[in-house]
Amino acid sequence: MSQLASSRGDRIEIHPRNCWYAVATSADVGREPLGRRVLGTGVVLFRTTDGTPVALEDRCAHRPYPLSLGRVDGDRIVSGYTGFVYDARGFCVHVPTQSEIPVGARVRAFPVHEDGTFVWIWLGEPALAGLRPPAATPWLSDPAWATLGDEWETEADVLLLHENFADITHVAVVDPYIAPPVLRTSPPPLEVEVTETTVSFSRTYEPAPIPEWQAELLGLPADAEHVQREQGAFVTPGLWVDRWDVYVDSASQQSQIHTFRFTHAVTPISPGRTRHAWRVSRNFALGEQAGKVLRPIFTDYYRRVKQILETMQDVLDTDGLRREVNVSADAAALQVRKIIRNMVADEAGTGSRRAARMSRVPDGRPG
Amino acid sequence: MTTTQTIVREHEADLVVQDAETVADGVVVLTLADPNGAELPPWTPGAHIDFVLTGDLVRQYSLCSSPSKPNVWRVGVLRDPNSRGGSEKVHIALTAGSMVRVRGPRNHFPLVASGRYLFVAGGIGITPMLPMIAEANAAGSDWRLLYGGRERASMAFLDELGQYGGRVTIVPQDEEGMLDLESILGRPQPDTLVYCCGPEGLLRAVEKFCEKWPSGTLHIERFTAKPQEPTGEVDSSFELVLQRSGLTVQVPPDKSVLTVIREAGVSVLASCLEGICGTCETEVIDGDVDHRDSVLNEEERASNEYMMVCVSRCRSPRLTLDL
Repeated sequence: MSQLASSRGDRIEIHPRNCWYAVATSADVGREPLGRRVLGTGVVLFRTTDGTPVALEDRCAHRPYPLSLGRVDGDRIVSGYTGFVYDARGFCVHVPTQSEIPVGARVRAFPVHEDGTFVWIWLGEPALAGLRPPAATPWLSDPAWATLGDEWETEADVLLLHENFADITHVAVVDPYIAPPVLRTSPPPLEVEVTETTVSFSRTYEPAPIPEWQAELLGLPADAEHVQREQGAFVTPGLWVDRWDVYVDSASQQSQIHTFRFTHAVTPISPGRTRHAWRVSRNFALGEQAGKVLRPIFTDYYRRVKQILETMQDVLDTDGLRREVNVSADAAALQVRKIIRNMVADEAGTGSRRAARMSRVPDGRPG
Repeated sequence: MTTTQTIVREHEADLVVQDAETVADGVVVLTLADPNGAELPPWTPGAHIDFVLTGDLVRQYSLCSSPSKPNVWRVGVLRDPNSRGGSEKVHIALTAGSMVRVRGPRNHFPLVASGRYLFVAGGIGITPMLPMIAEANAAGSDWRLLYGGRERASMAFLDELGQYGGRVTIVPQDEEGMLDLESILGRPQPDTLVYCCGPEGLLRAVEKFCEKWPSGTLHIERFTAKPQEPTGEVDSSFELVLQRSGLTVQVPPDKSVLTVIREAGVSVLASCLEGICGTCETEVIDGDVDHRDSVLNEEERASNEYMMVCVSRCRSPRLTLDL
């Protein structure tokens, strides 16, 4: 099992369960059963005849065979081995060999939320799903925004993805072509804002050029200087929403804000493995042609990030934990870690959050 | 030398009082919303917010609405004639349509997952219990609430609690005397968490009973500073190392650790400055901390892992913090 070092070398082995996680895109889920793993649990997804998405535990109650290898029949799913039939609530409603249903024959059904882009599921305490409204991402289906993206599995723990999104100063190192030139300069102050369960951060840059490819899309001179603002938000352990604003002054009116919005739905598959769905939305250059220019630029960048995080995971798996040096700009990442640790501690029922955080690796302690 | 590259702060907003309703003698319930109808930050049961009434008048109130309603927050405020001015100001100045500056939410009283809970509330201490109970009940946990107050008319939310029937025991002091803590806390029970919020006397009594319970059982929230036993010692000065920032500074006897951190130009969260709200909790890397807050329990103090830098100090010559 993979583990990650926190600032004091303690171990984090599990992820919060009381959270909405994007398990698939809406398009992925249809009338054929789809098997996915989330938080170490097999889940089968399908739609009922009226189009409602259903998420059940992906394991027949009779024999250890995945329901996702069976077939959907009306609003029910039939095991491809035992022939047991389950309804959308997970209750067994038919057994081939007898007319009575064995008492308690059922599989877990998970609360589901669909927003038009993703199918989100809740693997934690089912009663709490209704008390934690899923975060909305309306721009993903708003015609005022053009969106492109992809999704894949990254062989790295979700915490490495969180730490990546919590600090974008590495973008200039990873991909000088995509990075706004201001990222190569000394950064202005980082403002971090926290609530009980969220962390957001922002930086406002003095007027500077924007990347060549973006100036081209906007039809602006490559050397024109614009105020730029970065924002990042850890919305839940399953969702980041970041943005990059470019303020373009025009003689006739107030400055126009050209915005990229970056949506990252991250879902732990298991420790060390994460489903990552990324979307890049823009409120400018909405045409298809611009999309054709942008898609390879962002796909290359996120592929590179994926490879880097997979390499980090490999180092952790091979060489183990080591106390890492933190800097002042890690404030956002540290707040994210704290929220996640608190959630895990509260769910584990260990009595006290701080007590749960007290289990340290002795070697991780500074001397 | 200063480090000002990172500024950390809590969410702050000006909210409109949608409704101010007197629900019991001396208790007003305020419903707060964003003036433009935007969603408010998410929270979980046990969370509280600050009212920033004037520059230095900051008071904490538990959220007593439901996390499932992201457009409104609700708080209950007791008008306390002996108060230091906060509740008086809230009762007089905040009416429907007025604005209030809030900070947070934050949560140092989280509802930890458990199959069984005992909730003990005194007076206005009922407020954080309402969302906790709703959640424990929804999750199918076994729970009981013991709720005491001066007299029935002074006890808020009795109607709302009526839906839970026999799980709730209402004890108005003028009718039935004091809460019978012995009956529910006298014998430690396994796998049960105890949550208590109320006046200092009640908190002390419950703490005493829970000494015999497994460690980690008791969860308490204080909104006034726990009385400190005078040690007779004079505060000494010590060296402060801010590890992440790469700074070393001196803390003189007449300045708090928080003040010195801020003077060094390092951003650190803080709110009440009295050791009660938990906002300035900071990881201790090294040093013998002299805990003076009302947040950490004995076990947490003994671990020397965290400290509230607004009031706590250091007994050893050097304190190293993860800042």
